[in-house]
Amino acid sequence: MTVIKSSKKGGGPVFRGIPAFRFLTSVRLTITTLSLIAATSIVGSLVEQGASEEEYLSHYSERAYHFIKLFGLDDAYHSPWFYFLVVIFAINLFLCTVHRLKRLSAAKGRQVPDLAALVSSGAGFITGSANKSEVVRRIGPAYKRERVTETTEVFEKGRFSRYGVIIIHTSVLMVLIGGLVGNISGFKAYLALRPGEGASAAESRTPGRSAVVFGFAVKCTDFRVSMYPSGQPKEYASDIEILDEKGNVLKRGRIRVNEPLSYKGIYFYQSSYGRSNVYTFKADGRTVDIGDREIVRDTKVPFMVVRYAEDVHNFGPGVMVAYMDGDEPKTLWFLKNVEKMRKHVVKGSRIVLENINGQYYTGLEVSRDPGVPAVLCGFVMMLIGLYTNFFTSYRRIYVAHGTDAIIVAGIASRNKEGFIEDMKRIGEGLP
Amino acid sequence: MTTDHALLGLATIMYLGLFFVHILYFTWQKKALLSFAQYALYGTVIVQAAGMAMRWALSYRLGIGHVPLSNYYESLIFFSWSISVFMICMRKRSLYPVITFIAAGISLLLMAYASLSSGVEKGIQPLIPALQSNWLHIHVITCFLGYAAFVVSFICGVLYFFRPGKIVPTRESLESINYRSIIIGFSMLTSGILTGAVWAHFAWGSYWSWDPKETWSLITWIIYALVLHLRFTGGLKGRRIAILSIAGFASVIMTYFGVNFFLVGLHSYAT
Ligand code: HEM
Repeated sequence: MTVIKSSKKGGGPVFRGIPAFRFLTSVRLTITTLSLIAATSIVGSLVEQGASEEEYLSHYSERAYHFIKLFGLDDAYHSPWFYFLVVIFAINLFLCTVHRLKRLSAAKGRQVPDLAALVSSGAGFITGSANKSEVVRRIGPAYKRERVTETTEVFEKGRFSRYGVIIIHTSVLMVLIGGLVGNISGFKAYLALRPGEGASAAESRTPGRSAVVFGFAVKCTDFRVSMYPSGQPKEYASDIEILDEKGNVLKRGRIRVNEPLSYKGIYFYQSSYGRSNVYTFKADGRTVDIGDREIVRDTKVPFMVVRYAEDVHNFGPGVMVAYMDGDEPKTLWFLKNVEKMRKHVVKGSRIVLENINGQYYTGLEVSRDPGVPAVLCGFVMMLIGLYTNFFTSYRRIYVAHGTDAIIVAGIASRNKEGFIEDMKRIGEGLP
Repeated sequence: MTTDHALLGLATIMYLGLFFVHILYFTWQKKALLSFAQYALYGTVIVQAAGMAMRWALSYRLGIGHVPLSNYYESLIFFSWSISVFMICMRKRSLYPVITFIAAGISLLLMAYASLSSGVEKGIQPLIPALQSNWLHIHVITCFLGYAAFVVSFICGVLYFFRPGKIVPTRESLESINYRSIIIGFSMLTSGILTGAVWAHFAWGSYWSWDPKETWSLITWIIYALVLHLRFTGGLKGRRIAILSIAGFASVIMTYFGVNFFLVGLHSYAT
């Protein structure tokens, strides 16, 4: 199948004479690149991906780590040579498909195969000329009738089956192109919001990339989680609003796991949730709400909560607050249920811990992937192609006139046993 | 003991019976034993299906209703069932007793492992939100039908190395059954990977994330794609195709079992 003689019709593929092209269209190259892609994937699944230097050094020796770094095995699926393999593979697939398409459309002047050999293999029979109309009736109207030579007619069915391989190969290309588009112009990001909170950008999932700006704002108006009696989460959902700069609501919706919401090509997925605390302080007479590691700046020295404990020495919940005393970091415990320990004077500011409130936050996965339609289209094509190629068959039955007998014999591209049975049925009882 | 476990236990015993009926057939070569085995296989498939249906009904009574395809235990049972269903579908295509024999043995092993291993959680568990999707069903069903077809391909690959005779079919028959199984397996595995990708797109916002299970299913897919292409170049046949069928199945095993034990990822709920 690899080395195909150039055909006379259909503008013979001249380029196949050039060795480089012959190499690029060879199935041997396919086998090599696919094997290497599989091998890389095996390595990638065994070596942890995207971990930090310390993590690798705790598992591997220094030399092994250098090796991993050198070949980019810590991010194997994005390493230059993995891309190189995929590109070579895509070129190979593309040229192969073009070539085959040319060959299929050029295959008009069909040659009659050796009918006698087919008869002896069981896929045909010889009968008297008088039986011809009965044979034609038994072949049935599903076959298209066509004259090939003076004495020979062909009955064909399922010609489209031959295009199955082309559909499969094109679909693989579609998926690769979709993947490439997604890789270049898409993003993946993460966003955590407490009910009432909004954001107009999210933290990119790609290390080293800056935050992803949406061009609009997203606000979580409500978050709910329901549990099974066992305490496992049963369902969680967030009510989301999409807002423009002026705060007008552009879109509103509820997202659940498996049910994302999209706006202008950006998808919001319910991916996780968690609980975090909101601490209410009164600082110099003003009330402030802060979360973990948020800094209060409007006191004489800025401070923040660095630790929360549910129970401090049996005195109930408390938080550890940190502030700078000159160049020296200082910490101080506030206990919510102990009157004397609720307030402290810090560098001249009077700070009171008023309340600790546990609150859910919703974890949203944010992504934009313009390649998805191509990928989905590729998926559908691949299934159609597999069906066409494997489960339909291109059948030809030739009827050739001799002097006083006719030869009826045929070829099927798939399910040859079934075809031979059909041929037996057609020839049954004919002298 | 609940009805579902009782029925599945019965199915396990029936697989054991099926296994021994084949052995009797190989020793006595009585045709009657073979047709008995055929009806026994139908019976086993029905009992096992009833067991799964009971489990389905029971999950609704527990208020956590879902199709029994959601944890490791349920997938083992479905795997063993798929193999038998595949046997029945291939019946018309001259399946040989030695193949149904080994297949019954594998189904038996899967059932025994599912019910006896302490590492397999047998209870009906509530579904975590990510699994509450119709894509789950079609994804799992297509994957396991594919695996079942690859089991037959593997059996043909192994039998290729035995001398053909009374029990072992000719090499041509083995190759033809092997090829047909790979075609079905490859189509099903492709459907499985694609439905999984679509599901991941809706659940996680990314149709492909190189999680170890995804990666290994891709490796398996590539191996079988290689087998299909190697047939066309230099017409690779015989021994080497047999070896590749065994390698492909090793990759299936890694995809299904290995990843759960050796590697972690998004799919690790299956343990
Ligand atoms: C992962 C990517 C690929 C997939 C999934 C794929 C799939 C298939 C399938 C399912 C068949 C039909 C096999 C059969 O009928 O038994 C096939 C045939 C074939 N493929 Fe591919 N293929 C891929 C890549 C390639 C590439 C890159 C080439 C380029 C050389 C290629 C060349 C061929 C050829 C020449 C045939 C034989 C067609 C015939 O004459 O029947 N394939 N492929």
